[in-house]
Amino acid sequence: MEIVQILGFALIAAVLLVVVREQRPEIAMELSIAAGAMIFLMLATRIASVVQLVWDMAREAGIGETYVASVLKIVGIAYITQFGAEVCRDAKESAIAAKVELAGKVLILLLAVPIVRGILETVIRLLS
Amino acid sequence: MNVDLIFRIAGIGIIVSVLHTVIKQAGKEEYAWLATLAGIVIVLTMVIQVINEFFETVKAMFRLY
Repeated sequence: MEIVQILGFALIAAVLLVVVREQRPEIAMELSIAAGAMIFLMLATRIASVVQLVWDMAREAGIGETYVASVLKIVGIAYITQFGAEVCRDAKESAIAAKVELAGKVLILLLAVPIVRGILETVIRLLS
Repeated sequence: MNVDLIFRIAGIGIIVSVLHTVIKQAGKEEYAWLATLAGIVIVLTMVIQVINEFFETVKAMFRLY
């Protein structure tokens, strides 16, 4: 029952955050970053097996490795961007959060360019 | 994963807030601010390792090199 463990951890972190935020909001922010990172690290092995599952399914379906790698990279960038943006927004810095999200979108768009180009080339080949 | 890091950070936060109040009551506003800054730096050095581990895990997992 890993979910109970994570839930207990999250509840403890939430209670401590409420206590600390009253007095020292700047330390509460670091506490929330640490709690978020640690919950992810608790889940790391599970997420790794999900990613491995995606790789295996893609290999069985005969999808090119580059496409799967791009999709996984996009998922990773999206996760990190979301994490950073939420931390900034928690610290009441929504302007910085918006910029972090913009950076994530731009980088994801750059990663998606080869996929879009592949689709377009296929469409053009079908049309001609 | 060790839960005590969370407790340590919260403990430092509470100690820093108490120190801040005590030093402020003693009339040394600038030292109170300094104590808060020291607390933030100590907590940040502890948190930065977790953040590093988190980033390394994400990078290895999604092959972001």
